[in-house]
Amino acid sequence: MRASGRYALRVLAATYLVGLWLDGIGCEIPARALPRPAEYFMQVAALFPDAATVASEYRAEGWICADQRWQELDPRPYFPLDPDDKENRFQRALRFYRDEPLVLHALDDYLVERHNAALHDDGIPRDRVIGGVRIVLVHVPIPRPGTRIERLARRPLADFAKDETRVLYRTPKARLDPRCGPTSAPVEETP
Amino acid sequence: MSRFLQRFLQRASVWMAPPMPVVRLEIVRIFAPLAVIGFMSGRLVHADEWIGDAGFRVPHLAQNPNQPLYMPPLPSSLAWVVVGVMVLAGLAVSLGFRTRASVLIFAATLAFVALSDRLAAFTVSKISPVIMLAVAAGPAGSRLGVDAWLRRRQGEPAAAAIAPLGSIRFLQLFLVTFYSASGIAKAGGDWLTTPFVLWSHLHDTYQTGFTVLLANATPSFLWTPLQYSVLVFEGFAPLWFGLRYTRLVALVFGLGMHAMIGLMFGPVIWFALLMMTLLVACFLPERWLAPPPGKATARPTQPGDATA
Repeated sequence: MRASGRYALRVLAATYLVGLWLDGIGCEIPARALPRPAEYFMQVAALFPDAATVASEYRAEGWICADQRWQELDPRPYFPLDPDDKENRFQRALRFYRDEPLVLHALDDYLVERHNAALHDDGIPRDRVIGGVRIVLVHVPIPRPGTRIERLARRPLADFAKDETRVLYRTPKARLDPRCGPTSAPVEETP
Repeated sequence: MSRFLQRFLQRASVWMAPPMPVVRLEIVRIFAPLAVIGFMSGRLVHADEWIGDAGFRVPHLAQNPNQPLYMPPLPSSLAWVVVGVMVLAGLAVSLGFRTRASVLIFAATLAFVALSDRLAAFTVSKISPVIMLAVAAGPAGSRLGVDAWLRRRQGEPAAAAIAPLGSIRFLQLFLVTFYSASGIAKAGGDWLTTPFVLWSHLHDTYQTGFTVLLANATPSFLWTPLQYSVLVFEGFAPLWFGLRYTRLVALVFGLGMHAMIGLMFGPVIWFALLMMTLLVACFLPERWLAPPPGKATARPTQPGDATA
């Protein structure tokens, strides 16, 4: 390799390592100085800096137009990558973008369209058309240290205590009406 | 240029690419792509849902820091082609076949998928293109693998067993930089103030059967010293790996830590294997890797060189 190429590689390597370190310790210089795609590849080191206070998971419910009620909808058939853990794309979409209306509306459209296509079993009968979704955050407190624990198993949403769930998103009426008809009006709470 | 500056630059140049056994780079070249493909395997089988247009796509967000670059989904057929190229290139790297070209193609596909889908991108997704570029910059495939075997069959002399390896120096620095930043981030988070951080991470969907077994078998008072030992290892990694006398202990601790991470946090197993590969390749004692006497074409100028 030519000397100029070697020097260029060394500068690139040094920039990467300095950026990785600064980003890891929480310094904002890489975010300000570098293009976002470049900085993205440096966001790797700050792993698990905080204690978890709850075990969190995102769930979905569908609004069944004919029955006028919410029922849990399992999103995993529509997000098949890593279906059973928090690396699942549905979980990740909500972790990153739960405050981003564009993404929530896109998720809403996607889940409604996928369920109504009736190609998979998702907990709501295939012949029941849904008009909207409700995204629910489940957060279960971490047991005290030393407590005997059981292997985590997926529980139905209805099994969680009320204070362990929080609705993050509900399909607005303006989006629901064209799908279910104007007489359909979701109640505020899960029956 | 003064003589002092010349000597400094010369020493810096040797430090940045010290003579080392090429087998260090071959270890990375053989095992890192396998760990990366293992990590990608769950995604590869759903290529059309992952980077194609068959699954959910996050729409273009102009100002969201969690979307570094918007890339529209690929047509499903093209998504399958991309993952096919990725797997073939990764396997070719591991086998040492057309090594440099394969590494560059593999790195390009890895960078593409990391940017294409933020939702399925993790630490492995982001560091693997960089690791592969480091492999491409060195004499990977020159000693072991298909390329080396073909050259031997054509009667060419064996490549040097010991050569200046800037790639390995980079990976050594990468590891200590990574650990150091990670340790400082932990110290700035809850690891110094909350005694049960490790315990708190055993209860979500990363949990494995081994996690439950260990959580129930370990006395609760042990979690805090374990937590602090990880913090001290990571925060002071430049010291542990920089000093010759602590390097082997640091290597064993690092391997043990990643083994536990892999066993206790199911999907993180591939990250653990990738980091263990780098640790072994970068910090295994020189005497365990040096070729038999008379086989090397050059000797290291600094025995036990790997002062990161």
